[in-house]
Amino acid sequence: MEFLTKKAIPRRTLLKSAQAALALPLLDAMIPAATAWAATPAKPVPRLSFVFIPMGCDHSRWTPPGQESLDKLSPILTPLEPVKDQVTVITNMRLQNAYPGTHDTSNAAFLSAAPAKHTEGSDYYLGTTVDQIAAREIGRDQQLASLELSIDLNPLAGVCNNGYACVYQNCLSWSSPTTPLPSEAHPRVVFERMFGEGGDAAARRSSLNRRESLLDSFTGSIAKIKQRVGPSDRFRLDQYLESVRQVEREIERAEQAVTENKTPDLDRPVGVPAEFADHAKLMFDLQILAFQADITRIVTFQLTREQSNRTYPEIGVPDPHHPTSHHGNDPEKIAKIAKINAFHVSLFSEFLQRMKATPDGDGSLLDHTVILYGSGMGNPSLHDHENLPIVVAGGAATGLKGDRHIRYTEGTNLANLHLTLLDRVGIHMDSFMDSTGKVEGLFELTDVA
Amino acid sequence: MVGQTISHYKDHRELGEQIVGVVSFSEGERNAVFRWVARAMTTPTLWRWTAVALLLAAQVEVWAQDSKTAPAGPSPTLSQRQFLDRHCGTCHNKRLKTAGLNLVQVDLSRLGSQPERWEKVVRKLHTGVMPPPGAPRPSEADRRAMLTWLETSLDAAAAANLNPGRTETLRRLNRTEYQHAIRDLLALDIDASSLLPADESGHGFDNVILGDLSPTLLNRYISAAQKISRLAVGSTQSLQSDIIQNAPDLTQEGHLPGMPLGTRGGLSAPYTFPQDGEYDIQIFLARNFTGVVSGLREDRPHELLVLLDREPVKTFTIQKPADGDDTLLDKYLKVRVSGKAGPHNLAVTFVHEGSSLVNTLRQPPVSRYNDRRYPRTTPGINMISVTGPYAPRGPGDTPTRRRLFVCRPAGPNASQEEECARKILSTLMRRAYRRPVDESEVDRPMAFYRKGRAEGDFDAGIAMALSAVLANPEFLLRVESDSESVRASGVYRVSDLELASRLSFFLWSSIPDDELLDAAVQGKLSQPGEIEQQTRRMLADRRSSNLATNFAGQWLRLRNIDAITPSTSIFRDFDDNLRQAFRKETELFFDSVVREDRSVLTFIKSDYTFLNERLAKHYGIPHVYGSRFRRVPLTPESRRGGLLRQGSVLSVTSYATRTSPVLRGVFVLRNILGAPPPPPPPNVPTLDESTTAANLPMRERLAAHRSNAACASCHRTIDPAGFPLENFNAVGQWRDFEVDGHSVDASGTLPGAGAFQGIDGLEDSLLARPELFATTLTEQLMTFALGRGIEYYDAPAVRKIVRDAEKDNYRFSSLILGIVKSVPFQMRRAEGNGSSVLRTTAKNEQTLSRGRAWNF
Repeated sequence: MEFLTKKAIPRRTLLKSAQAALALPLLDAMIPAATAWAATPAKPVPRLSFVFIPMGCDHSRWTPPGQESLDKLSPILTPLEPVKDQVTVITNMRLQNAYPGTHDTSNAAFLSAAPAKHTEGSDYYLGTTVDQIAAREIGRDQQLASLELSIDLNPLAGVCNNGYACVYQNCLSWSSPTTPLPSEAHPRVVFERMFGEGGDAAARRSSLNRRESLLDSFTGSIAKIKQRVGPSDRFRLDQYLESVRQVEREIERAEQAVTENKTPDLDRPVGVPAEFADHAKLMFDLQILAFQADITRIVTFQLTREQSNRTYPEIGVPDPHHPTSHHGNDPEKIAKIAKINAFHVSLFSEFLQRMKATPDGDGSLLDHTVILYGSGMGNPSLHDHENLPIVVAGGAATGLKGDRHIRYTEGTNLANLHLTLLDRVGIHMDSFMDSTGKVEGLFELTDVA
Repeated sequence: MVGQTISHYKDHRELGEQIVGVVSFSEGERNAVFRWVARAMTTPTLWRWTAVALLLAAQVEVWAQDSKTAPAGPSPTLSQRQFLDRHCGTCHNKRLKTAGLNLVQVDLSRLGSQPERWEKVVRKLHTGVMPPPGAPRPSEADRRAMLTWLETSLDAAAAANLNPGRTETLRRLNRTEYQHAIRDLLALDIDASSLLPADESGHGFDNVILGDLSPTLLNRYISAAQKISRLAVGSTQSLQSDIIQNAPDLTQEGHLPGMPLGTRGGLSAPYTFPQDGEYDIQIFLARNFTGVVSGLREDRPHELLVLLDREPVKTFTIQKPADGDDTLLDKYLKVRVSGKAGPHNLAVTFVHEGSSLVNTLRQPPVSRYNDRRYPRTTPGINMISVTGPYAPRGPGDTPTRRRLFVCRPAGPNASQEEECARKILSTLMRRAYRRPVDESEVDRPMAFYRKGRAEGDFDAGIAMALSAVLANPEFLLRVESDSESVRASGVYRVSDLELASRLSFFLWSSIPDDELLDAAVQGKLSQPGEIEQQTRRMLADRRSSNLATNFAGQWLRLRNIDAITPSTSIFRDFDDNLRQAFRKETELFFDSVVREDRSVLTFIKSDYTFLNERLAKHYGIPHVYGSRFRRVPLTPESRRGGLLRQGSVLSVTSYATRTSPVLRGVFVLRNILGAPPPPPPPNVPTLDESTTAANLPMRERLAAHRSNAACASCHRTIDPAGFPLENFNAVGQWRDFEVDGHSVDASGTLPGAGAFQGIDGLEDSLLARPELFATTLTEQLMTFALGRGIEYYDAPAVRKIVRDAEKDNYRFSSLILGIVKSVPFQMRRAEGNGSSVLRTTAKNEQTLSRGRAWNF
């Protein structure tokens, strides 16, 4: 692929490890003395990964020509060739709760399937997202119940459209209808969240210990503030305390990790790569690392945000994404959208390939991870939420078939897919938002132990 | 024509002022009304009608007050009803109820009971958005009279039933506030963006939605507290490493702002050494996309300087290796410097080699960073890393330590140390918590002190206690709570301490300083003279530059400048140097209005701006040399002056390849005029600017907007507000022709105004109704000041601020003072009064189903 020829500058000179695209000379003091890599859990566990792309796709180059198999991939999906035996492309999914069609609701509804309350203020209201439902169930024993990643360092301010608070456009994951989770785009911060700030085992243990005391003190002061405020604000303070408990859990898990000493031997990422592809690759790598070390089992990644004006000169699209996506059926613009779509898919494909190359239990990390890739918008020129571009990948160990193109009835709710994926990783719910039932044909009928 | 329009408006404005002035006095001096009416009766018919109406209104009010039963405000008369029937009733009647609004046969005597509905009417009438274009317009006099009547009624009703709104009880410090608070608390500059996640914005500002505290945020606040406390005390034992990066599209062929003269390109940044000791500085050269160092030649060496606090500490000479392999070239560009703890300036730059003319057929572009198009002719710096301290020699003496350690233990024993620790912590906590602190409250951080002391020394104890203060909700949260006595008692004045925080977070986005806090503790701040004096003092303080960087950064979207990447094939001279110059110009310009207390109308039109050579060249203004910014007087030929002619505003409202009259139109309507267009209706595809061939002039490309009925309802207002800026291209340069050779058609209009030409016409039109811009700016400032959206019940306060400011020629300080003295700023609605959680929720659900109810 021509896209992938460029390299981050220091990599050539500095890096031995292919894991990180931008790193500095290794600081001895920062890397834990013992670097035994004891990450693989004794028994493979199901994991969920969600990758979001904005502003729909060019359907003419997205939809695979085949009716059932992926014998022939479409131009946009061609980069998936090396992993297509573990990829299923799904056609005809819709998000009816994302209407009226806006960028805000495309992002907000993608994992929540919920309508966003129309407000610019702090009284926003959405729904608990599918990843967070999973985090509560299968993520609760991990150091991080879930990990939220993104790539745009500075969310745009003041230009979120149509009277919706920017939070709908910035946050993919919501742990409750009123709790959007900020995502992290800075590789170093993600790394430190996963592995701490470094030092030897004793230093890290002592640092965790101090964090615990700070949290205790925080809790104590919240109790005092509680006496000063009215009932509705007391409720909010209780939510803060819920956050405290979650962070405490993270710390407990991290403390165990210190004793087990499963910190990776890897260059600590320091900066943010200037090139989009390098940055994306690094964020994907951190995701793999988080799965591999079993720090979390649920990851969401906003590969780019809605209304992004990012330009892609590296693939011959010097035009900004958002206005180009309003293509008005101009063939030239549609071709550019297709190029951007294919570029994103190529980065995703690399991620899948690296997941496949990472052993996990009796198979690969890819086998044990169910991955959803897609957009909350269908045709960007219409701002509709029909026939969303959706790919489900990985998860062979959970019975996901792969090498398939499934066409559901037009207007099948995306919530049905969410419900199905949850079911496959062991979370059985009767319904999820506007779901009308599980989708069929995605998984082998045989149950997986 | 334009001139006539102005004088037309001016006349009516003056008349309108008389009306406004008189009626607002109607509480006391009605005689004035009668005098004015007597005069007006000699004028043409419509004025006579208005006069009669006013006369009646005034009289009715007298009666009403006499009977002591009446609703506040003057009562309606025939003419108001006629106005509504004639100008509104065609659409807003019982049958059609356009926009859910019926204005026919409604009870006009009870305006005050439905302020939400009527404030909306006022806004539409005030900005001239209604009646819509094409519909018969009321005469200016009728419109003014109707407005005056409505406003007077609503103001009176609001005064009788104060609703200051309810700010959120719990708001965490956002990124900017946190950074400023640390600066003022500890004399320590940090980069909060590397410590805390970005904030969400609501109503256009990032200090509105701050009620959440997710685990991620909490985690980061805790980490930040630990990092900052180590840095402040200087107790960092382990090595740390930071990198400082240049923007990839920074041109480094010439002198850069802030660098010593005689240098070229490079990178400079403030950096705080945590301890006295040695630090490694590793330099990384800019490489092109194939990984080769750019701008190097075999035949030419370059001298590279490393500067610590502007003093050279090391010189390297670099040259392209003979074998061409530069892989390891910058591996050895590493120097260990010795420095004292505290703030420093680190710089890496090149000795200027003299001009190196590029041999090219065409005029060489100014920008040189893009190796695919215009390669560097000399090498540049990509980034530096700083690692240390090696061989640490202790925490040294830093401004931070001087501010933190207000005492040293009198002696070595524990009680002497504890006495001093207590003093340090109580001083710190008073500032950090923005209020007096009980002795018992110091116990909690003292426990941390003891733990740290037990593990190390006195400083280690203070460091640990400091982290506990910084991670405490009393620091991280701004809490405004109803006291027991006011709970369920309606509205109340916020306490002096809460007022002090409101003031400092408004003007400085930071904690109050000691002087402000002292005034609040003494109970003086609520006195009008004192708050005015404090406000003026704080505006004069350097910290109020926050208004230019933070407030204006969001109002004018300067923050988004970093995200703009104009197409390099079309705008080949765009680079980071220009991007930063755009920002700097607008910040300096805004700041000059604040510092010199100019009229806010300066923002619309001015005879000066701030430029350096790069920006002046970009604008085509001669005789400005060097990278330093300075005030430049402008002549009309320069075609500059006023915000709407600045590259910053013009480029953030453009796309990468071209201008967008739609984005610019929405910006003008929303952020300048205060008449935001409604959001697109559900299920109408978002408007597309490119449904027709790209080789047509912009205006024709957008014609579909106005011929398609579904689009036209909004775009016949939006597009004409953006067209007047068409003489400026997507990076803010003047042009007479569009890219494809069509001459620019910059004719346009604003709601309620006649047609005009270009930016001059737009500015004149805005200045003809200065109260509209003043209102918009007041609302924007007030949103920022209160940290909440402006609602219908704030409208009376906004009107008062604007009216008062008008008498002072809309001086910047008159807006600010008006806001800090206003009801919404000084007061708060207690919980359960008019907006319990349940009611708010119910209302919002309604809003959801109907679309946005209150659309400012």
